Amino acid sequence: MAESMKTMREKDMRKTSVYQKFFHVLSQGGIYLFLFLMALVVLFPFYWMVISSLKSLAEYRLSPPTLFPVHVMLSNYAEAFTTANLGRLFMNTMYVGLVSTLLSLVITIFTAFAFARLQFKGKELLFAALLATMMIPGELFTITNYSTVISLGWLNSYTVLIVPFLVSIFYIYLLRQNFLQIPNELYLAAKVDGTSDFKYLWKVMVPLSLPTLISITILKMMGAWNSYIWPRLVANDEEHRMITNGLRNAFTDTTGDVNYPVQMAAVALVSLPLFLVFVFLRKYIMSGVSRSGIKG
Amino acid sequence: MKKLVSLLLLLAMLLSLGSVAVAEDAPVYDGSEVTIIFYHTMDAAKRELLDSYIAEFNTLYPNIHIVHSQIGGYDDVRDQIAKEIPEGIQPNIAYCYPDHVALYNLAKAVQTLDAYIDSEAQVTRADGTTETFGLTAEQKADFIEGYYNEGKQFGDGLMYALPFSKSTEVLYYNKTFFDANNLTVPTTWDEMEQLFEQIVAIDPMSIPLGYDSESNWFITMCEQLKIPYTSATAPHILFDNDDCKAFVKRFRDWYQNGYVTTQTLHGGYTSGLFVSTSEIKSYMSIGSSAGATHQRPAKENGEYPFEVGIATIPQADLNNKKVISQGPSLCILKDTNPQEVAASWLFVKFMTTNVAFQAEFSMNSGYVPVIKSVTNNEVYANFIESANGGDYIAALSTKVCLEQADAYYTSPAFNGSSTARSQVGALLTKCFNVADTEDVDAKINEAFADTIAECEYAIGW
Amino acid sequence: MVESKQQWKAWLYLAPAIVLLLIFTVWPIINTVSMAFLEGYSGLTKAGGDVTFKIGLGNFIHVVGHPDFLQAMKNTILLCLITVPVSTILALLIAVALNAIGPLRKALQTIFFLPYVTNSIAIGMVFAAMFNVIGSIGTRRPVIVSYGIVNDIIRLISGNSDPKNFINFINTGSSYEMNMLVMVIYIVWNALPFKILVLLGGLQSINKQYYDAAKVDSAPRWRVLTRITVPLLSPMIAYVVITGFIGGFKEYTSIVGIFGENMGPVHDAGRLNTMVGLIYDSLELDNQGGASAAALILFGIILVVTLINLQVSKKRVHY
Repeated sequence: MAESMKTMREKDMRKTSVYQKFFHVLSQGGIYLFLFLMALVVLFPFYWMVISSLKSLAEYRLSPPTLFPVHVMLSNYAEAFTTANLGRLFMNTMYVGLVSTLLSLVITIFTAFAFARLQFKGKELLFAALLATMMIPGELFTITNYSTVISLGWLNSYTVLIVPFLVSIFYIYLLRQNFLQIPNELYLAAKVDGTSDFKYLWKVMVPLSLPTLISITILKMMGAWNSYIWPRLVANDEEHRMITNGLRNAFTDTTGDVNYPVQMAAVALVSLPLFLVFVFLRKYIMSGVSRSGIKG
Repeated sequence: MKKLVSLLLLLAMLLSLGSVAVAEDAPVYDGSEVTIIFYHTMDAAKRELLDSYIAEFNTLYPNIHIVHSQIGGYDDVRDQIAKEIPEGIQPNIAYCYPDHVALYNLAKAVQTLDAYIDSEAQVTRADGTTETFGLTAEQKADFIEGYYNEGKQFGDGLMYALPFSKSTEVLYYNKTFFDANNLTVPTTWDEMEQLFEQIVAIDPMSIPLGYDSESNWFITMCEQLKIPYTSATAPHILFDNDDCKAFVKRFRDWYQNGYVTTQTLHGGYTSGLFVSTSEIKSYMSIGSSAGATHQRPAKENGEYPFEVGIATIPQADLNNKKVISQGPSLCILKDTNPQEVAASWLFVKFMTTNVAFQAEFSMNSGYVPVIKSVTNNEVYANFIESANGGDYIAALSTKVCLEQADAYYTSPAFNGSSTARSQVGALLTKCFNVADTEDVDAKINEAFADTIAECEYAIGW
Repeated sequence: MVESKQQWKAWLYLAPAIVLLLIFTVWPIINTVSMAFLEGYSGLTKAGGDVTFKIGLGNFIHVVGHPDFLQAMKNTILLCLITVPVSTILALLIAVALNAIGPLRKALQTIFFLPYVTNSIAIGMVFAAMFNVIGSIGTRRPVIVSYGIVNDIIRLISGNSDPKNFINFINTGSSYEMNMLVMVIYIVWNALPFKILVLLGGLQSINKQYYDAAKVDSAPRWRVLTRITVPLLSPMIAYVVITGFIGGFKEYTSIVGIFGENMGPVHDAGRLNTMVGLIYDSLELDNQGGASAAALILFGIILVVTLINLQVSKKRVHY
């Protein structure tokens, strides 16, 4: 009797475990299904962009549409490059991105260092005031900055795209936090050795904060790549036009039909550099973004 | 006696003061070194042409340095200058439309030209010869009057701009198709309506007419039908009336029947539809006379797929012909250095009165010259002579324009007139899209009310 | 002595940032506030000289009276109220799902982050192409030149190929509801990556003990999600909701991406205008007073919404 009770219980337990296992596999399958479906939705526009960019206009208009181009038209890319004058736009954007990132990094490092390590009157108050300005929508600044840059004679220049955005309170905040984590003992030891603040900053603090600096670099570059509103207002001439503005312009004032495959090729070309950066530097982007809550 | 003397003295003083105010002499150019900035919208070919004439101008005035640049389209020129005026960094000379002048005048930034035009002073040129600083009676009379008067339509009778080059709207039609089907080119909108039905019967896949500019269509209809549109003096906005709604409703019907499309509705210049060789195409297109080469189909095997005909646009009333006057004028913006203004005036005068330049610019651009003597220019006469619907289509459109010079109109310019212009265009597209299932009259009324509100907002304070 | 030297040095380090901030941040705040209260302020009019602008609330009244103001408010609020909850819930489900799987997690995580590194104008053009119908759809005699993949899919499912049955999402003659639907899809698609990232980060820091306890009780997955995961994740959820609302009220470029600067379908430009769009409209009309007033109104709205959000989360968030 006792024996049979025991086997019964064992059987029961085995049953539940099979039962549980079955459910586990089922729900695990469901989870994967859900994720795959969502991934499909997320990826679809990219897929559509790429295959559309490789079709001829006639094939693009086919109904039902082909899921892979019958005739791969790489020439669309060449046409996109010339139609939208992408070469110039790339150069402009790269130039603005690089210069503004470089200058912005220097300013951010100096400012963050002052807030993290140096003592001066009103430090806490000033820092709090700076953080408070982050609440204000950017448009509020744009109105006046627009007049300011005109009176400075900066209209349609690289300067106007670079200088007004060199100081980012958010980056300063990010880097200051990082600097604060570096043990004070290192600083004091350096002081004893007679190392100057400046040397200490560049030789010790900057190398130790490299991951944050890389995050800032990438976010800043992405910002340049995606900026639209400000460049449209102040530098929308042929020579200084940025990539997003050029893209939007190139395909709005056309004569006749929009050649969608070519347009898609242009979009793909514009998206490519960001993808590459993302693939290689995913870690830094993700860690930077998760702390920011802002795009670019 | 003493009293009388002092009274006379006072009178003399008042008179002299008055005369100073009335006939303020324009400062004459004295040969000093100045740099003149000129904003326009010329493409590379026209810039090259301009450069060659600047060289000619510089043989007469070597110390006037002209720096000119293309600032996108007309609206870009306006926006840029409006940004620059408050900072005092505006150019000296600019391509302008009347509403641009009205905008700049908010800041009183446009130089009035009357004193310059009337100046009888003589200026010495580099080759030792002299010329009258102002316009001679001959030069003044040479301007096509309608164009010249556009410069003084700002309510105070003063001259703010000189015409530079003009264009209008013309009707492009597929002559090959018209001839093959025995169709007559419509001269009125009623004939146009009948033609739509004929064309759709022949080619059911077609949209018979493309009208590029909705704004022009609306304003031109107001002119043709003598309906109030806007006024230079308050109240500015007058188009909220039943007559306007009536023609809008009629055109909506055409759009709903697939008879007509416009630039924004089509998503690109309707010339694209007109020159199309695919299944869906149009057989008529109303667009700028300066865009004739875009209305010509691309050659296939060395031949044009069809011949293009050009005619004046349809009218509502053949006794009240109206076509819009487009194309840039030149205005001079004020400057603290009177020599810059004087030099700018000389260059503006040069560009508008030089027969060879006006002729070449017209041939190059498809715009019509603003002075009459150009037609006597031999090269130009040959150009007009060569007009046809193929290789010399630009000459053909110019010819059609010259023939209807008396029908040109311009609409009043005031601060907010450009908003009114773009708003009535948007109004037309909005009304076209009222579906049959909706209460058409109510929706059109609503759209008009919204548009009026937008216009009043732009006029602002 | 050392003290003052330190002071002096600190300000030297701060100098570049301070100078730039004074010009491009502090001055704009002062100037914007003052322009907002100068009735009808315009740079051009001021340049004309001999004008004085009355001090008052005129600009605010003028902006609120803008024909598009109520519409812009409606658009902005609607977009916020729909996209923030939808994207947050979707992101939560995806993050939880990602957290529950082993193989392929890294790959999927990368895929879900992809929309973040795109240019919102560029991908907006892709969305527009997918939803497009070119031609005079909806008229008595519709002539269709071409249409995008979405209508293809609809046709495939419904088996009806009459152009009259096409759905007009964004083109001439399209309805407001359809326009909004496309905007919601696009904005949610765009908003997912950031939310997933933050929520997944939060999930990974939750102490495993809570789940072990749940396992002992053999609580079903759903209940684990609502009773354990969500409460523990509430600070992160509050964070993405608040930033979502702030971003939502500043919506502008995503609409430009799909509709262009028309801010609406061709036949009804400005129908999808937003608060930020209004600021730029005023600026284009050279009405800096109105633009300043609109910017201050937007700031006020964001401030109020954020405060409400914080108030709500204070009650609901478990720290």
